[in-house]
Amino acid sequence: MAVTLPEGNLETRLSRYLDGFNNRHGLEESSAEGNLVLIVVKPQDLPAVLATARETLGILHLSFITVVDRQGSFELTYELLDLRGAQVRVKTTLEGEEPVIDTVTGIYPTANWHEREAYDMFGVAFKGHPDLRRLYMWQDHFDHHPLLKSFEISTKRTFEGLR
Amino acid sequence: MLSEERRTEGTALTRPATGRLVDPDVRDEFGLETIDMNMGPQHPAMHGLLRLILELDGETVVRCDPVMGYLHRSKEKISENRMYPAVIPITDRIDYMNNIAMEYGYCLAVEKLLDVEIPPRADAIRALMNEFGRIMSHIPSIGFLMLELGAFTPILYAFRERERIQSLFEAVTGARMMFHYIRIGGVKADLPEGIPEKMWSYLEGLEQRFEPDFVDLIEGNEIFISRTRGVGKMTPEKAVEMGLTGVPLRCTGVEFDVRKHYPYGWYKNLDFDVITDEAGDVEASYRCRIGEVRQSIRMIKQILENLPEGEVLADLGRRLRPNEGDGIGRVESARGEYAVHVVSDGSDTPYRVHYRTPCTVNMQLLQEIVPGHYLPDIMPIMGLIDPVSGAWDK
Amino acid sequence: MQTALNVLEAEPVRLLISFGAILFLVLNLAGILTMAERKTAAYIQLRFGPNRVGPRGLLQPAADVVKLFTKENVSPGRSDLWVFLAAPIAMFIPAALVWLVIPFSPNAVVADLNVAILFFVGITSISALGVVMAGYGSRSTFSLLGALRGAAQMISYEVPLILSLLGVVMLTGSLSLVDVVRAQGGGFWHWYFLPQLPMFITFYIAGLAEVKRVPFDLPEGESEIVGGYMVEYSGMTWALIQASEFASMGLMSAINVTLFLGGWQPPFEFLDLGTFNWFWFGLKTALLMFTFQWIRWSLPRLRMDQLMDLGWKVLVPITLIWLFVTAGAMLIFQEVF
Repeated sequence: MAVTLPEGNLETRLSRYLDGFNNRHGLEESSAEGNLVLIVVKPQDLPAVLATARETLGILHLSFITVVDRQGSFELTYELLDLRGAQVRVKTTLEGEEPVIDTVTGIYPTANWHEREAYDMFGVAFKGHPDLRRLYMWQDHFDHHPLLKSFEISTKRTFEGLR
Repeated sequence: MLSEERRTEGTALTRPATGRLVDPDVRDEFGLETIDMNMGPQHPAMHGLLRLILELDGETVVRCDPVMGYLHRSKEKISENRMYPAVIPITDRIDYMNNIAMEYGYCLAVEKLLDVEIPPRADAIRALMNEFGRIMSHIPSIGFLMLELGAFTPILYAFRERERIQSLFEAVTGARMMFHYIRIGGVKADLPEGIPEKMWSYLEGLEQRFEPDFVDLIEGNEIFISRTRGVGKMTPEKAVEMGLTGVPLRCTGVEFDVRKHYPYGWYKNLDFDVITDEAGDVEASYRCRIGEVRQSIRMIKQILENLPEGEVLADLGRRLRPNEGDGIGRVESARGEYAVHVVSDGSDTPYRVHYRTPCTVNMQLLQEIVPGHYLPDIMPIMGLIDPVSGAWDK
Repeated sequence: MQTALNVLEAEPVRLLISFGAILFLVLNLAGILTMAERKTAAYIQLRFGPNRVGPRGLLQPAADVVKLFTKENVSPGRSDLWVFLAAPIAMFIPAALVWLVIPFSPNAVVADLNVAILFFVGITSISALGVVMAGYGSRSTFSLLGALRGAAQMISYEVPLILSLLGVVMLTGSLSLVDVVRAQGGGFWHWYFLPQLPMFITFYIAGLAEVKRVPFDLPEGESEIVGGYMVEYSGMTWALIQASEFASMGLMSAINVTLFLGGWQPPFEFLDLGTFNWFWFGLKTALLMFTFQWIRWSLPRLRMDQLMDLGWKVLVPITLIWLFVTAGAMLIFQEVF
């Protein structure tokens, strides 16, 4: 098998991950609890942090990207798994109504559709994404991002863009 | 809405990568063109409502672009406007072939937020039902694979098993499909009188029928082998890179199972193997599914043998108001890693619920590996991924 | 009285009556085979099949016909209407026409042509035209793909089909189907399927491909091109395509029986029924048609390249080799033949 998955004790791995991130990047916050390493980074550092995670630390799996609309800012959670019991949760906050962040598709190709979904639902633009189209909503004539808190559920509202 | 300048900044509006086999120059020389073909959303083999925009060079696919969203029901938006327990029926409808795992993931996430202890009997019953759900989903998957290869009969044998398990579910949960059985803090009700014995006898019958109906009739079939061996072939690196989970990942030889490596609930106490296969093609995925059904049978027997006694639902009070924070519940559904991320703001409705459905992620495989295959090979590759419309569209 | 019956046997009247009888047979065969197909499928798939209309569902074909007659005949807006509507007829006529040369019993053959085998080969190749017309006339990508697949498949499998007939022709020394059957008299060990076993199997497989049955139903390709060339048809035009498929399936079985399984000849001589020997013909044909349906509900479908591989790399060499073997055997054991 050509894929090398991390081995060894869970605690030593967790501390290795924590140290690995702490030594290479200026993190805003970092903690390890249970099987979870939680780090908070600045948005401009995010691709570098994820590159460290994949290339240096060997965390191979990006589980999902969650965007949370905090009304005025967007909180992005990147959940990484090393496939052997440890989770790494990278959080970052994008200020402003029109968020832009660098794509991580170059590091984790699976992020492609996660980022398309985030763009579709929240309007978060991913700089450098190869194919940033809407994933679920109509491709044309629909200019809303439905999971924003400002988007109220109303049938009339949803369809006005289409007509 | 994106402003014009951000739109150009954020999006490089290129077409997705093509796996063009025919050199464009050669094509021009002979005056040949590719055909654009629109497969779906109303198409019998699209596992629901999927649209594939295909570019065909004769019978060979050179570009495959999946278009989703035809069954998008805004599960995440609806979940934000409902109280915590009322989200469970919504999750039921995400993956309608394997609903019980969908409920399980959400309940795990909310329980992590609430930080509550689950009675051991409830945990065991959850694992029991989850494994029945896996059998109930894997056996029709095998049937669908055969249906897509042109053999109509196995699907009816598969649905016979599914119907019987559904009858067991009906006896336990009161519903045949949308169970709403796993609740925050436990399960809705204890197993009724006599049901464990019925489950046991069903399993013994299934073990007897499983070999002749789903292995002997299919595995050695010459046409089945020629249609599936080497089709949808992928390397483990590719599978990991694409973020695949579940059977599509395990059939390439990467051993990853959430039940084993991120154990939850009763799975810590169970003894089972993670089924892997080296080939990484459609045939390997079929063998993995067969193996996983056998493991599920084994697990259910273990659970039934030592079913703990006690309560099945923890008392959490009437209104659930978790503390602010994140709760992530991760389970192995029949299709892969299913994770629910619940963000709470301290009120009685979730602030944000994100469902990471395995189908959405696994389906990225379509645009990567379908180009270069023949048109009829799309169907077995869909059988390899085995997506469910409700799950990829949420 | 005698003279009145003689009028019926006089040439134009006899031919007209025979045509009517053949058409009656073929159209009813389609209905009965539909029913048989559904029942076979049902019993293979652990269900009952149609069982509501009439006793044990036996009137279901009649109900189907009524439903299909009352159904609107829809054609795609941009279709080539004449080609679209002519295609089912172009498919049905060849299938029905070849029945004219099939010997049902010693005295029941509409046209005892001395080139009947050639007639069969010539007419069945026309049905590929109907498939191409249907696919082209519908003007849909799915139909076009189905039609191209159908044309490629039917023309390719024509080759092993014809080659596998030649062994029988060499042994009999005649192209007349009546002569072929007469040469197989006297017990089942005289039937040609024993000396010509590879040819029989090739003919059976090529026949399956020729009538587009599973595992060679790529032109229909239920799961990828959803019906292929017939995807746009509805109502009676669709029914006519179905009827022609079932008729050609029956035809292929009938020809197979005639050439290799002794036609009307009983399996043992003491079972000779005289005029009623058509019973043996019917029984053998029905058994072969059942095997077609059995295969249909048991096997998955091949892919286009695998289909072509099988045709050109397996079936054609087998038939050629066995032609040489037959010719050699005839040369060596001249006194036997």
